[in-house]
Amino acid sequence: MSLVGWLFAAALALCALAAIGGLVWPRSWVAGAGTVAAGLAAATAGVASVVGSRWSAWLPDVLPLAGVRLSIDPLAGLFMAVTGGVSVCVAVYGIGYARTPGHRLDSRGVQAAVPLFVGAMVLVPAAASVSTLLLAWELMALTSLLLVLAEHRRRAEVGRAGLWYAVMTHLGFAAILAGLALFAAGAAGESFDQLRAAELPPGLRNAVFVVTLAGFTSKAGIVPLHVWLPRAHPEAPSHVSALMSAAMVNMGCYGIVRVGLDLLGGGPAWWWLVVLAAGALSALYGILQAVVTSDLKRLLAYSTTENMGLVLVGVGAAGFFAASRAPALAGLALTAALLHVVNHAGFKTLLFLAAGSVLRATGARDLDALGGLRARMPHTTVLFAIGALCASALPPGNAFVSEWLLLQSLIRVSPLSGVAGAVTMPLAVAVIALSAGLAVATFVKAFGVGFLARPRGVGAERATESPPSMLAGMGLAAVACLALAVVPALALPAVGSAAAVAFPQTPPGLVSGAVTLALAGVRGVLSPLLIAGSLVVALVAVLGTVRLLAARRARRVARLWDCGAGPMSARMEYTATSFAEPLQRVFDDVLAPETDVDVTPARESAYLVERVAFHARVPDRVERRLYAPLLAAVDGVGRSVRGLANGSVHRYLAYGFYALIGMLVVLAVLR
Amino acid sequence: MPGLWRKIRKTGRVAEPAPARVPAEVPAAAAELAGSIQIRHVDAGSCNGCEVEIGSVFGPVYDGERYGVRLVASPRHADALLVTGPVTRNMEVALRRTFEAVSEPRLVVALGDCARGCGVFAGAYGVVGAVGDVVPVDVEVAGCPPEPTAIVAALRGLTGR
Ligand code: SF4
Repeated sequence: MSLVGWLFAAALALCALAAIGGLVWPRSWVAGAGTVAAGLAAATAGVASVVGSRWSAWLPDVLPLAGVRLSIDPLAGLFMAVTGGVSVCVAVYGIGYARTPGHRLDSRGVQAAVPLFVGAMVLVPAAASVSTLLLAWELMALTSLLLVLAEHRRRAEVGRAGLWYAVMTHLGFAAILAGLALFAAGAAGESFDQLRAAELPPGLRNAVFVVTLAGFTSKAGIVPLHVWLPRAHPEAPSHVSALMSAAMVNMGCYGIVRVGLDLLGGGPAWWWLVVLAAGALSALYGILQAVVTSDLKRLLAYSTTENMGLVLVGVGAAGFFAASRAPALAGLALTAALLHVVNHAGFKTLLFLAAGSVLRATGARDLDALGGLRARMPHTTVLFAIGALCASALPPGNAFVSEWLLLQSLIRVSPLSGVAGAVTMPLAVAVIALSAGLAVATFVKAFGVGFLARPRGVGAERATESPPSMLAGMGLAAVACLALAVVPALALPAVGSAAAVAFPQTPPGLVSGAVTLALAGVRGVLSPLLIAGSLVVALVAVLGTVRLLAARRARRVARLWDCGAGPMSARMEYTATSFAEPLQRVFDDVLAPETDVDVTPARESAYLVERVAFHARVPDRVERRLYAPLLAAVDGVGRSVRGLANGSVHRYLAYGFYALIGMLVVLAVLR
Repeated sequence: MPGLWRKIRKTGRVAEPAPARVPAEVPAAAAELAGSIQIRHVDAGSCNGCEVEIGSVFGPVYDGERYGVRLVASPRHADALLVTGPVTRNMEVALRRTFEAVSEPRLVVALGDCARGCGVFAGAYGVVGAVGDVVPVDVEVAGCPPEPTAIVAALRGLTGR
């Protein structure tokens, strides 16, 4: 067994130990320490495999019939490393967070489920056969569902969110199951090597791709299958939201890359145009919803939809370029997409953990009830600011690097790709630019309204800083983000070798250089370190000059201008809703906000008004238009066939009997 | 939109020719401002008659801006306050704070008879006093309401243009 194998086994064993520890002795540091160790082992295993050591194993006795088949190549290693890294931050954070008074997160169930969830996520990329993948996938879904439901006794919405999540994730599972079963039926067996070697007819290949794509995009939170995400993420405990949003949704992208590019070996251009279109749609829709929502965690959840959309734009572009025989561009686009997965994992962990700190300290997720946290939670504020900077895709944040790479690959459409490429790629560039702009607005809102100014609610007024372990967890994530932002060369070789798994024919060294990134074959250079350095120098210079000039002049201390009226109050501040209002107006046709005004007239006269109530909300339009009618139809069918189930046992026995007879008749006729 | 353009083209210039400036001494604080004065208007309790006249001073016919005065939206941007009306109880503190918010050198113009000496509202229960009772006044413009020409003349006395 190679080093990777040992580390991987150690990670799984530590997860199991931590889970048992959590069950037996529900102290948050027991399971926390185990999960940290497991995360470290998984991250090291991932890094080792990316560096070049491979490992695969077949354990025929672990499961009946199929056995368990495992293999870790650089692509699997990259996702494993990301999961491991996220788990370390989350587990350190969880030690303090689980002790939040009143949340009961240090119960046995939650303590045991977190390491199991991490173990399942480590297992998914390592799976090398259909049955193993499905098993790990389902384990991941079940443990995350348990964790989403952790606080169901405290809030009724948790149950509803859990129901959405359970249904959506299982529909996705069914789609993946169906697609991969079709695939395996057409191939000689169900191991990934056999699937790779299989020669399927084009119709079957299309079916396999489309059906698995539906399943994987539902996990990645891609529109229109994203509806569970803005419900489950806010209602789950925050460290679980971080795990789900930074590690679990990545598995959807992993699945698309693994099945579409690796196992099926790429396909016709239209497959990838579909992926690209879904990604572009999600990027725009996600960030538009994020910019208008005022629930901090819902905002972050929609931002996940946006970022996964950007990743899929990259994956789609990569497949498209490969189909139109531009291997260098394909490699570049996939590198950009995978780098964005890594970057997104970094900043989303940080942001969800910081949101958890805010929630713990103030009891509020609503930005309109927050504010003034800069003075009360200075460390959390700085950490959230780092995350927000990274998420808004501006230099010197880490998302800037991956989005720059993505744009570089998209604007160099090769003439070979024909009309489709010439039309699609500029549109994709526009979508990325627009979503990056809206992301800036979103995170300026989240940070400015949530942390600066004065507290808008009692909770925010009484907030206190989080305990050291929570700060340490966030600090780790922040350090990772900054490192990735300033020296992306740390991750680029790993990402490059992961991309090479999908495109073995791409020339190596597409993106090179330690300080200045240079692209092979095309003219494009970027030096994040120099950008960050010059920004810091410029900032210091400007601040220094202002200080110096201000010190020379005569100064008069004057009262804050408050329009001459009484003292300023928090009610005069910008709220998240008012900040987003102009954008909401611009995108009125897309968002379709709902407002209603309730006027209650006085009893004496209809002309005298006693009370005016104003409600405004921006519903998720996809949910309203697509899911509501669907659910209503299902409900209607359920009601109309209710007469069949009248509670009589005889009747039910008869149904079973007739169904059996029917099946036998069908079989007899067909055979 | 084309209708508007046509209107603009047809109407041409309606501003009256600038009358000759009455030579007078510019107050010291105004002289420091070198002929360009930003004004914040404060309604301390006026009947709105004075406001109508201010409106026409800065309209196209009297075109006050050609003499170097301009209305601004915040005392922080202003050099001078243009106060109308008697100072009512509700506006006393606000007027004092607005005055404090103007950076130095600063000027106060009391516009209209009410601002100078409470005018028709003298002795009313809601009135604290004239503008001069609350903040130091540099220039007064008489009239109820003062005519735009009088206001323009007073403002030109400040800018010296
Ligand atoms: S001076 Fe005359 S016009 Fe001006 S506020 Fe007083 S009453 Fe009204």
